[in-house]
Amino acid sequence: MDSRKIPIRVANGRAYIWDVDDLQTIRSEHRLCGLLVGTLPHLSQQNLFLGIPSQLMPEEAALLVEKEYAVFVDDASAYRGATLSEFNAWNAEQREYIKHQQLVLEQEHANKKPPEVAQKVMSEEAIRKRKEREMKRQKKAAELQETEAEVPNANEEKVVEAEAPESSNAFPTTYNISIAAPSSSVPWYDPSNSTYSSISSAKAAGIWDFPSDLQDRARYGVFKDLWEQGYFMGGGIRFGGDYLVYPGDPLRYHSHFCATVISSPTQRIQPMEIVAHGRLGTATKKTHLFCTWDDEKGTVDYLSIEWAGFG
Amino acid sequence: MDIHPSYSALASVVERYPAHGGALFQTYNDLKLAQQWRDVEVKDLGQVCKRGGIQGRRPKTAADADSLLHVVPCALAESISMVWLKDVFEALGNPSSIYLAVVSDDSSIVYYKLSSGIVKPSI
Repeated sequence: MDSRKIPIRVANGRAYIWDVDDLQTIRSEHRLCGLLVGTLPHLSQQNLFLGIPSQLMPEEAALLVEKEYAVFVDDASAYRGATLSEFNAWNAEQREYIKHQQLVLEQEHANKKPPEVAQKVMSEEAIRKRKEREMKRQKKAAELQETEAEVPNANEEKVVEAEAPESSNAFPTTYNISIAAPSSSVPWYDPSNSTYSSISSAKAAGIWDFPSDLQDRARYGVFKDLWEQGYFMGGGIRFGGDYLVYPGDPLRYHSHFCATVISSPTQRIQPMEIVAHGRLGTATKKTHLFCTWDDEKGTVDYLSIEWAGFG
Repeated sequence: MDIHPSYSALASVVERYPAHGGALFQTYNDLKLAQQWRDVEVKDLGQVCKRGGIQGRRPKTAADADSLLHVVPCALAESISMVWLKDVFEALGNPSSIYLAVVSDDSSIVYYKLSSGIVKPSI
């Protein structure tokens, strides 16, 4: 493992991880999951499958920084602004890259053969159709040679033209061109003056405020205590708690516990809360945990709640 | 309440802590008569908790029938706290778990098992 600290990009007081390798490190080595919140470019109308960035719970981000696995980066102030020559160079590189992709895709498309039809289902009709297809393919190949001859001289207008509907009907009229999303590799990105290696320095810089009050300290104290015991924590919204507590990676284990944070031993609790949590937990094969934070001692006390099985 | 046959077993504790007498009375009768618990006894939880608790064993047919269980009654309308629960555990001799009997005004009772520490669900 390298000693590089994981950059946690902070935007509007929320913590994001943008690098999948960092996500893997956080999950496999530091037992924290985060929550993927980025939409997928090809599937933007759904919310089942999400991609980077991963948003960390405030507890997760604070823990990573406190344990010195990660640093906060105020990304918005990490860009000093490009000089004109830097921008021109970057722009030229982008265009070159797009052209290259387009060329590769065109070639791939041209080399694709129509699927072979099994011999036994070859009727005369099928043979006739196949001949027609063969003719078409030869025609395409001929057109392709013409197009390829043009490509080396193609200027940027050609790039745009390839997506326009009037281009040759033998080719698909659009290609999916991928554009590199990370902006951390541009020459004018310099996070050195906006990196904070402790919670207090990030707080002083005004980019981070967790934990800020008793409730936050209680949440963080409980989260850290469970984490130190080897548990994985996820959000508890589905079961009406603050956290779901897993004995291992949530991809491999069911959670055994749903945890509620109680910020003081003297906090009033209605018996109805015990009934509601206890009953739901039992119905879902989970024990509900009341996790009581003692702010003076800095300790956590646990109480496990289950339906008694009678009455 | 005071002409009920089970009142004699409860009288001293009910008179000492009248505010919680109703919940104790209902829970005692439910455990003894409806749940058929055996060796049901009332225990004074002392000056910190200021109420009575109940100890007893489940019916012979139940799983783990011989272990002594601890029950603390409370009214649905009360509010409690973790400090209070800790005191109850202590007054009952720090068992690994206790049963909280939540009693509503129409005398329906639900029991919840509270265990100290992180205890996995029983299948």
